[in-house]
Amino acid sequence: MSVFGAESRRDMEIHRYPLLVYTLVPLVALVLQAWLPRVVGRYSWFDLPFVVTVYFALARRNPMEGTVMGSVMGLFQDALSHHAIGINGIAKTAVGFLAGSVGIRIDVDNHTIRVLLNFALSLLSSAIYLFVTRFLLGLAIDWSWLTELLRAVGNSVIALVLFPLLDRLQIKD
Amino acid sequence: MESFIARYRNLVVLLALLTAQLVGLAVQVRRTSSGLNTLDSTDAKGVRLIRLWANAVISPPERLIHASKIGVIGLWTNYIDLLHVRQQNQDLENTVDRLRLEEAALLEDARQGQRLQALIGFQQRYIFTTQAAQVYGSSGSDRSHVFYIDKGARDGLKPDMAVITADGIVGKVRDVFPHTAQVLAVNDATSGAGVILEKTRIRGILRGDASGRLEVVGILADERIQPGEHVLTAGGDLVFPRGLPVGVVEKVVRDPDRDAFIDILLKPAAHLDRLDEVLVITSTEPRFAPQEQQDLAASEAEQGSVPTAIKDQMKASEVMAEKLPGLADPNLPPDQQPLNDSTPPNPAAQPPQPLHADEFSPDATDASGAQPETSPISKPKPKYPSASPDASGSSGAAHPGAKSKPQATPRRNP
Repeated sequence: MSVFGAESRRDMEIHRYPLLVYTLVPLVALVLQAWLPRVVGRYSWFDLPFVVTVYFALARRNPMEGTVMGSVMGLFQDALSHHAIGINGIAKTAVGFLAGSVGIRIDVDNHTIRVLLNFALSLLSSAIYLFVTRFLLGLAIDWSWLTELLRAVGNSVIALVLFPLLDRLQIKD
Repeated sequence: MESFIARYRNLVVLLALLTAQLVGLAVQVRRTSSGLNTLDSTDAKGVRLIRLWANAVISPPERLIHASKIGVIGLWTNYIDLLHVRQQNQDLENTVDRLRLEEAALLEDARQGQRLQALIGFQQRYIFTTQAAQVYGSSGSDRSHVFYIDKGARDGLKPDMAVITADGIVGKVRDVFPHTAQVLAVNDATSGAGVILEKTRIRGILRGDASGRLEVVGILADERIQPGEHVLTAGGDLVFPRGLPVGVVEKVVRDPDRDAFIDILLKPAAHLDRLDEVLVITSTEPRFAPQEQQDLAASEAEQGSVPTAIKDQMKASEVMAEKLPGLADPNLPPDQQPLNDSTPPNPAAQPPQPLHADEFSPDATDASGAQPETSPISKPKPKYPSASPDASGSSGAAHPGAKSKPQATPRRNP
C-alpha cells in the first residue's frame, strides 16, 4: 500500500458525504464538546471539533474546505468561551489547511496514518493556540504541555473510533 | 491575476481567513496603562453578535442532550436497572421467610432447652423419683382436659401417678399404654385432689370447673381466706405428695348450692395450657443425696442413744439403792420410790389467799350469799375465764354472758 503515492486512482479518491452529514456532524461535535466536560469534569482531554475538522479535511483532500471547516469550528469554540474570538479559529484554520494539504498526498483510508496525523496536528494546534495567545496577543495564559499531550492522545483515541464510523456515512459510487 | 488566485486559491483563502481573524483578535485586545495586553471586559457589538449566534446554534441541541440525559438516566434508573428487581424482591422475600422459619425453630429450641434445664434441675433436687416426659398431644376437646405424654408402661408409669412440673402439679396418669400415657389434668371437672391453704391450713378438694378453671370446693365460709394465698397439696389423696404448689387464691365466691360453703378460684401454679415437658412421680420412696443420707444416719444414731442413757441412769439408780437402803421407803410402791420419782422436785407454790374478798375474788358471789358453796375446799378460779383452756373451745365460752353467769355445777377437788 502506498502511503505517499498520489498516482493511484484509489489514493486520489475524494470522499463525498450527504449535506446532512456536513451539517450535523460538526454541530454534534460542537454540542458534545460544550456538554461533555460537565459530565467528565477535569478529565476532558479531547477536542471533538478538532477531530471532525481533521477528518473532513483528510477525507475531502481539499485544503480550502479544510481551512473553512477549521475556521468555522474554531470560531464557534471561541464564541462559546469567554476568550477572544479567533484564537481557536486561527489554530484550526491552519490545522484544516494542513490536513487537507496532506490528505492529497497520503492514503486517507489507513487508520494508523490518520491517527498519527491526528496526534501530530493536535500538538500543532495547541502550539498555534499558545503562539497566538502568548506571543501575538501578549495575553497571560496557564499552560501545561502534559495536558496538551494528553489531549493529543485523547483526540487520537477518539479518531481511532470515530473515523471508521464516519467513513460509513460517505457516499459510495 | 485571475489565474494567480485560481492557482493559489487555497493559500489565498487561508491567508484571508487568518488575516480576518487576526484583525478580529486585534480589535478585541487592548493594551492597559501598565503595558500589558488584556481582553475587553465587555465584548464589542460584533463580537457579542458572534457569541449570540454561536449560542443560538449550540444551546438548543445542548439543552436537548441534557434533557435526554436526564431522561436516559431516569429510564435507566427507573426501568432498565429495575428489570430484575421483581425477581430479586421475590428471592429476598423467600430468603426472609426461610430465615424467619429458621429463627423461629432456633428460638423454640432455645426455649425448650431452657425449660428442660429447669425441669432437670428440679428433677435432681426433688426428693421422689420422677420420669421426665414430653407432652405430644391432647384430647382435642375443651371439655376433656387430658393430654398425652410420650412415656408409658415400658418406662415404669402406672395409673394414678402424679404428674407435675417444676412450677406445680399438673394432673395424674389416667391410662397407661406401652409407650404412651394419658394424663388427666387437675383442671378437669372429673379430677380431684386434696389441697390445703398454706397460711390458714384449711383443707379442701381441688377440681376443675366446666370452663377448665381450678377451684377448691367443700370449704366452710371463712373470712381469713384472702386472694393471693398459696395453695398446696395436702397429701391425703394418695396421688400427690404433700406440699406441692397447686396455685394461688384468685377469688373467693359463695357455693351456689350450699349457703355455708365457699368455692375458691385458683390461678394454677403450672401453665396448664402450655405444657411441653412434665415429670411423672414414679416412686414416693424418698431418695437422698449422699450428704443427706449421712445426716439421716447421724440423726438415727442420736435418737438411738437416748434410751441407752436412760437405761444407764436406771441401772445407776438400782446400784445406789442397794448401797443406800435408807433411801428406799418400804411403805411406797417401787415406782414411787424417791430414786424413781420423776416429778419435779420443787413444784409451784399455791398462790396466797386474799386477806379479804372483793368483787374480783373467785368466791365473790359466794360472799354475797347468792350462791351457797357446796364444796368445803374451794379451788381459786382464774381471773380471766377466756385464758382458760376450756374457755377457748366452742363449749359456750364464746357466749357473751358466760363471764358473769354464776357457776352452777359443783366443783370437785382434783
